[in-house]
Amino acid sequence: MAEETTELAGKVALITGAAGGMGRAHAVLMAARGAHVAIQDINAKGVAETAEMIRAKGGTAIEFAFDVADGAAVRSMVAETEAKFGRLDILVNNAGIGSATKLDEASIDFFDRIFAVHVRPAFQAVKAAVPGMKERRSGKIINISSRWALVGNECASDYCGAKAALLGLTKAWAKELAAWNICVNAVAPGGVWSQMALDEKDGAAGIREAEKKVPLGRWAQPEEISYLVAFLASHRADFITGQVVSPNGGASIVGF
Amino acid sequence: MPKLAGKVALITGSGRGMGKSHALLMAEEGASIILQDIDGPLVEEAAAEVKAKGSKVHTIVCDVADANVFPKEIETAAKAMGGHIDILVNNAGIDTPGTIEEITDEAFQRMFDVHVKGSFLATKSVVPGMKARRQGKIVNVSSIWGMVGHSSHSHYCGAKAALLGLTKAWAKELAPHNIMVNAIAPGAVITEMVLQKGGMDYVNEKAQLIPMKRFADCIEMSYTVLFLCSHESDFITGQVISPNGGDTIVGI
Repeated sequence: MAEETTELAGKVALITGAAGGMGRAHAVLMAARGAHVAIQDINAKGVAETAEMIRAKGGTAIEFAFDVADGAAVRSMVAETEAKFGRLDILVNNAGIGSATKLDEASIDFFDRIFAVHVRPAFQAVKAAVPGMKERRSGKIINISSRWALVGNECASDYCGAKAALLGLTKAWAKELAAWNICVNAVAPGGVWSQMALDEKDGAAGIREAEKKVPLGRWAQPEEISYLVAFLASHRADFITGQVVSPNGGASIVGF
Repeated sequence: MPKLAGKVALITGSGRGMGKSHALLMAEEGASIILQDIDGPLVEEAAAEVKAKGSKVHTIVCDVADANVFPKEIETAAKAMGGHIDILVNNAGIDTPGTIEEITDEAFQRMFDVHVKGSFLATKSVVPGMKARRQGKIVNVSSIWGMVGHSSHSHYCGAKAALLGLTKAWAKELAPHNIMVNAIAPGAVITEMVLQKGGMDYVNEKAQLIPMKRFADCIEMSYTVLFLCSHESDFITGQVISPNGGDTIVGI
């Protein structure tokens, strides 16, 4: 990737769920813009590949392979990142799993799992990262929500609920942490080409069909979401906090 | 490569304040700039600053609400800049105080003329060219007061809210032509307009009410506008971004 900017030079960024798709794209872009990155995924092979991609381009990356639902592991990942790079400036809570369940087939176990992957790790990671950010009076936290958190969907209520919970946390953390110059925002992507989406839509034909419903007539590539995440992580967004930005091709135009 | 290389941007109300700041940042990123303001001497000063960045500049001096003049001026400007306008920032604005009883019919009309009609005229003028090239970026400058209101200045709040409605409708109408339309809703920003109200004492006092305890500089708004005008936001349309230091956290 030819990157013209070194906007994140010297910053340390931690991105969860970075074995592929958007998480990988966020990590690669931030590294290309000069950040040292720490990346996590349950998929050890995938996260190692992402780290290798970053190193191959001269970037710095350390990787962690574990289930993000493991709170103790999340906390020690933050501590290890701070020990390795001396600080943590940017936290992207991106780890997630999909759902296609309707209520009649939904199980409480999967409901718990969805919240254990999307919501509890964000809380754990933020709680671990905030003391250092407060001390330095600087920090950027970006929670990855979803367009479905804004408008719902005819299935996957468990997923919609978890993604909406992240918006509540985003807004509250923004208010709680503003006094320490820590900015907290959410990104709520619409349709994005990724392996997760390909699996859910039974391949590219399914996505192409879904693209017809989007005003812009297409889904995004993962990198297009990364540009927004990198912007919110940069000094250029120092006055933006508590906001939700939804790159969705016009599929959902709601709220303010 | 600069983010806006080869692009032509029209920024209304760019003689000073945020509009000028947007113009200067876009010039740094390689755009040619069409400056517009009702104040001739101001816009010429701003033009000199933009030129100093190495950009091609064209100036328009007129009232954005003048339907007989403004669209023609835009047509002339587009020709002078090589035939196309890729980016429109509807930034021109005024603010006059007043409770409902104090706001005159004329003040109410003028408020909507400048913010709403001016934005409509500019958008109507640039859209055919954007459609023909299947690309365009339009950013409407609203305000947090357009989102949450205020205990006075209701005509300003109403006009700024109208821009949000136009933003969302234009986003849907123009998406099939690959034209993105978004709004920025700034919170507290240090501008000449604000400083005239009561100087830095006013700013420092009001800043205490904002979670981040400060006002923004104009350039901080320009960064968001630039992002929304660059290819990096090609999947973002119909959205409202409010850089406001945590002052207003609403909607979804």
